[in-house]
Amino acid sequence: MLPRVPPRWTKVIDQTRCIGCHACTTACKSENHVPLSVTRTYVKAVEIGRFPQARRVFQVTRCNQCASAPCVTACPTSAMFKRPDGIVDFDTRSCVGCKACIAACPYDAIFINPENRTAEKCNFCAHRIDMGLEPACVVVCPTGALIVGDVGDPSSSVGAIISREPVTVRRPEMETQPQVFYKGAHPATLDPLAAGRPAGGLFMWSEQQPGPQMVVSGHVPLTNNSAAALLAYDVPHRVPWDWRVSLYTWTKSIAAGTYLVAAPLVLVGALDSGNSLWQWGAPISALLFLVLTGALLIADLEHPERFYLIFTRAQWGSWLVRGAFLITGYAAILTLHLAAPLIGSAQLRQALIAPGIPLALMTAVYTAYLFNQARARALWQNTLLPAHLAMQALVAGAAVLALASVWLAPAVVLLLLRIMAGAAGLHVLLIWGEAMVRHQTAHRRFATREMVAGRYAAYFWAGMAAMTVGVLAPWLGVALAALPLLGLMAYEHAYVQAGQVTPLA
Amino acid sequence: MSVQELGRRVSAARAETEARGETFYPGTSRIHLAAFPPKERWDDWVELDSRAWPERRERRYALVPTTCFNCESACGLLAYVDKDSLQIRKFEGNPEHPGSRGRNCAKGPATLNQITDPDRILHPLKRAGARGEGRWVQVTWDEVLDHLAARIRRAIVEGRRNEIMYHVGRPGEDGFTERILAAWGIDGHNSHTNICSSSARAGYAFWMGIDRPSPDYANADVILLISAHLESGHYFNPHAQRIMEAKQKGAKVIVLDTRMSNTTTHADHWLAPYPGSEAAILLAIANHLIQHGRYNREFVRRWWNWAEYMSAEHPDVLATFANFEHALKETYRDYTFEYAAAESGVEASAIEDIARLVASAGTRLATHTWRSAGSGNLGGWEVARCLFMLNALMGAVATEGGTYPNAWNKFVPRPIHVPPHPRTWNELSWPDEYPLAMFEMSFLLPHLLKEGRGRLDVYFTRVYNPVWTNPDGFSWIEMLKDESLVGLHVALTPTWSETAYFADYVLPMGHASERHDIHSYETHTGQWIALRQPIFRALRERLGDPVGDTREVNPGEVWEENEFWIELTWRIDPTGELGIRQYVESVEIPGTTLGLDEYYRYIFENSVPGLPARAAAAGTTPLEFMRRFGAYEIRACVGALHEEPVPASELADSMENRFGRVHTTAPARLSPNIVPLPTPAPDEAGRRPVGVNVDGQVLRGFPTPSGRLEFYSSTLAGWGWREHAIPTYVKSHVHPARLADGEMPLISTFRLPVHIHTRSANAKWLDEIAHTNPLWLHPSDAARLRVQTGDLVRVTTRIGHLVVKAWVTEGIRPGVVACSHHMGRWKLSDDGQRQMMRTVALRQSGTEWDLATTRSVAPFESADPDTRRIWWTDVGVHQNLAFPVQPDPVSGMHCWHQAVRVIKAEVGDRQGDIAVDIARSHEIFKEWMQLARPAARYSPDRTRRPYWLLRPLKPARDVYRLSLVETATAGAIR
Repeated sequence: MLPRVPPRWTKVIDQTRCIGCHACTTACKSENHVPLSVTRTYVKAVEIGRFPQARRVFQVTRCNQCASAPCVTACPTSAMFKRPDGIVDFDTRSCVGCKACIAACPYDAIFINPENRTAEKCNFCAHRIDMGLEPACVVVCPTGALIVGDVGDPSSSVGAIISREPVTVRRPEMETQPQVFYKGAHPATLDPLAAGRPAGGLFMWSEQQPGPQMVVSGHVPLTNNSAAALLAYDVPHRVPWDWRVSLYTWTKSIAAGTYLVAAPLVLVGALDSGNSLWQWGAPISALLFLVLTGALLIADLEHPERFYLIFTRAQWGSWLVRGAFLITGYAAILTLHLAAPLIGSAQLRQALIAPGIPLALMTAVYTAYLFNQARARALWQNTLLPAHLAMQALVAGAAVLALASVWLAPAVVLLLLRIMAGAAGLHVLLIWGEAMVRHQTAHRRFATREMVAGRYAAYFWAGMAAMTVGVLAPWLGVALAALPLLGLMAYEHAYVQAGQVTPLA
Repeated sequence: MSVQELGRRVSAARAETEARGETFYPGTSRIHLAAFPPKERWDDWVELDSRAWPERRERRYALVPTTCFNCESACGLLAYVDKDSLQIRKFEGNPEHPGSRGRNCAKGPATLNQITDPDRILHPLKRAGARGEGRWVQVTWDEVLDHLAARIRRAIVEGRRNEIMYHVGRPGEDGFTERILAAWGIDGHNSHTNICSSSARAGYAFWMGIDRPSPDYANADVILLISAHLESGHYFNPHAQRIMEAKQKGAKVIVLDTRMSNTTTHADHWLAPYPGSEAAILLAIANHLIQHGRYNREFVRRWWNWAEYMSAEHPDVLATFANFEHALKETYRDYTFEYAAAESGVEASAIEDIARLVASAGTRLATHTWRSAGSGNLGGWEVARCLFMLNALMGAVATEGGTYPNAWNKFVPRPIHVPPHPRTWNELSWPDEYPLAMFEMSFLLPHLLKEGRGRLDVYFTRVYNPVWTNPDGFSWIEMLKDESLVGLHVALTPTWSETAYFADYVLPMGHASERHDIHSYETHTGQWIALRQPIFRALRERLGDPVGDTREVNPGEVWEENEFWIELTWRIDPTGELGIRQYVESVEIPGTTLGLDEYYRYIFENSVPGLPARAAAAGTTPLEFMRRFGAYEIRACVGALHEEPVPASELADSMENRFGRVHTTAPARLSPNIVPLPTPAPDEAGRRPVGVNVDGQVLRGFPTPSGRLEFYSSTLAGWGWREHAIPTYVKSHVHPARLADGEMPLISTFRLPVHIHTRSANAKWLDEIAHTNPLWLHPSDAARLRVQTGDLVRVTTRIGHLVVKAWVTEGIRPGVVACSHHMGRWKLSDDGQRQMMRTVALRQSGTEWDLATTRSVAPFESADPDTRRIWWTDVGVHQNLAFPVQPDPVSGMHCWHQAVRVIKAEVGDRQGDIAVDIARSHEIFKEWMQLARPAARYSPDRTRRPYWLLRPLKPARDVYRLSLVETATAGAIR
């Protein structure tokens, strides 16, 4: 029987055979030259039950080769791509190291390789498949717990198992259509929050790896599983986006907000179009912070020198690409606005408002969609996130403008403070309401708890306090405008980091 | 070139491979993908570079087989040698290996780490300064050889043969080094076995003579493990494959293990008994079979030495089988499920469940114990004995799905020279107090030397780390530092170890891809041999460029032991006048040393049945065949050798004793298989034992005095252990009745699937996965101690204490604690194995020793960029230092379980702290020695040891005689 051309590669991991020996781990390291401190595959171990009715269960954990892969959608340069035969592969030559794929992957299957600083994951040993060889992990496994095949091929055991036996996949509600199926996996390993995290920084024969960008798996304080379950072995997990991404949302809020607040004021006549705040104060601030935003984004790349690939190899499904073009478009508006006197067009600035406001708004808000592409980052799956970002832009923009207006347009200072206070007040109410509501899933609650009572509580509450005090700025004076501005920075950091600390694996 | 074209040219897939007429190795997935490239292309195989991907960059490889050097399984490996860089790119499995069948455990691929380890030793080193100072100078091999040869020669010539000792941890080969020692005429073999498997061996040996089991898991209906063979032990990978195969076919798996091993994950029945109670459970099962007549009566009637038993223990009863069955029922009737439950803490119903399961297995009962309870407990050898009793009751001995005597599944080919048995007896390894010890009393060496029983002039430690692996390591350090006790210490090792620090010479011997060995292991029902070889030597020979000395192709000046021993032996006796040189002399070119090509060529051409024909069919010589494919299956499905009739030609002038044992004058056939076997004594007229009369037919039987399975051991009865003449339950030294208030048993022997003793610390991928050994504590004990995971606890033994982190888990019995092997490595200076050894300060004040961490493991710069990425710091605690020696009086096994007190750590305690008073450990040594029944007093025939029992490097028979002085003294005592 000839194999179908082309096969759709699928994998079955049979935990009824897996003995937790880690041969697959070292065979993969060997085959793919994977450095220490990262891994394409590992064997998670969870201890279940109470002595003597107890058991240690294993789960071979790696990329799920999703049919509907969020990493492929999120990648700006198609460095993450899907082959016609279904394998989700990666190209180190076009990876810029933006880590959007890592943020988007619901399974934490992707990592940045410390040697070449590009994104990497299990790629089904595509280089072996093309040679007619099974993947290295399949070959080495002493008990034949890993098998591959074409699920559509009736003669393949993969097809038989998937179609005729009870199999499970990880996080099916993420709608990724994983092509890695588990036979005999226990819910305590499939659900990242099912097993409790051990205390003391320890696993049964290794250490948890602490650190500011590290996430230790397992639930705290209790397990999310009706059987007692303790995470006994896991590998270190790193979050993709650090303070640079937190900061970029803040600089972007300012960049977008200054124009977003100033332009409508000009339209309704509250701000005179000849005012230097409108002429150059607002647009220069905007452009300055837009450049800072770009600088932060590029600096966050593992390969900053390749940033241009986001434009030349643009993969339009990625919100990182769309955002890049939005920022570029907005920057063009601002540049034209500032260059208007040189061009000698008196109407230009007025005409630019029509595309300018939407572009400014989208610049502020597109991050909500970028974060939304990280579909397992439960804290960011928030229908109000665009509204939040819009509010933040208004707060930041109004604050900066108010401070600038003291010098450039004293008449509008109070108006700006009122806008700022109103936006800040609304923003605080939005956040407060969301933090108080009992969220649907353990994953969302976990992240919320880390944000308001855990690792990032200090940032969160500092931010909230500062923004709340800012509400009083119209009465207490313009100097207070700095507070919500800085408060936003702190809050944003808490939000961006807390969104990434829920274990995914 | 398109993928399609590339595929046609080089694909390993089924259609393309078979179209080229080549061997297709089906993968696990059973589709068109192969598991391995076809063997016809192992000279020149093209693969696509995984790191250049998705760019399709071709790399050309030569695939050369060898075997893994990590554990005794010696699984097959294929080294992929990059033909451009001439470096080994990776190790995969060898599909031609009958035991491992192309698959490996985590340690197989990690072999690459071990040969590229930046801390490996590449040159012979000699100490500069005092022993243990850590200062070394590089020397030449010539200097080392001359020095050692002169010293050894002098000891031999001056009649101090017993001062030369070779102490081996992992042999990794069958008999080569033993024969070198035999050539020197010394009883110089010492091993690690008495801290490993002596008790299990004793249990099996008293039944069938042969001391190891070989279960046929793949065909079993019921598998009963008192072991963790899905994760560790001989032969973990090949066994795990076959255990899981059987399980997939419906076999039931029973596991007895006090702690929750990975093996219990797949157990249909997991029993976690109180440590030391296992034999009580097994006898309860046996009793169930006996009382309900569920055992194989025909088998028991034919093959148990019940008649001998009746004659010895019930002489006033007629020795009929019916009377025997009656006696059996009476003898074991107190081993009820309730009794076993009371001893073990396991529910009686759970024990009954497994008894019924065992009863249902018929002859497809595969059981196995190796270390586990045998290694932990006083009388632990009865665990193996009682476990094999179940096989003996069910007739599941050498049956399909049953347990074989290992020697029947093993083939040791006769080499070119077989030296005679040595004519001396070394009492430092075989002291008179332990006449029945299964292997050398290795771990007592420091104490025996301290008592003035002798000294060592030349002491080799080889892939062995007694300072770390043995109990009471400080006593070892004290001994090793004393030049009056140990004149010259030579460490043969590929990697730094705690013992090598205290050596005078550290000699780097090759790893899996850098040495020659042949071995055969009883992984399943079949006999196979495999060759470990220096990869680059094999490659050069393929290209017609033979290599005379492995140092030419190994990294640095790393050598290999085959050549080293041959050269050393030659230099000990260069003129041949001592009669030693002949055993390492070339036959092809007399007057020169035996080269390895000649050595192995001889074996493969003359001593491996079927190999020459197979090689000829493949168009190669036998040696070329083995170098190309690495392994050869001599025989599949060995079968019940004990049932084979003895041919009439061997029965001329034979005599049968009253129990049916048949002796003959016909000479033994010279077999190409020289696997060590027990040697039951000749009869009074000197006829050799040849078989046993079973129902009127003379059959081969078992290599025991009676020729049958010895339910009744005349050996045990005769040597002072009448109370152990038949299988019985011995209460452990950690039995609750023997523990003082507040003491708990500590299980210190369990192991991990990713490490092998102290030899895998140089494998970064393995260290990353497992690097620390917290103390396993049940939540009830943790609550009582007010301790949670990660807190420090102080564990006090009878000679000292250690400080270790707690791991609170449901995976251990309440009232018992456990701590794993492998971890807790240390070094005294900054050199050493930096990935897994922390730097410590070692302090001594009188007999009080202590160890404290000064620097944890940290990232470091080296030729390997990965060493910068080391992220772990906690490398565990060396618990063995705080354990006194506890030799079992029968098997000689060190009883590992410790009676400990555990409390929350005290102020000032730091993780890894250890403090011991070795004066206490010497006292405890003497206490345990009191339990022994020395040969001088108990020997029935004035010999040191029953001659028939297996013994490595067995001396000539007359050397077994106790000296007149000893017997006179014994007479005086009596």
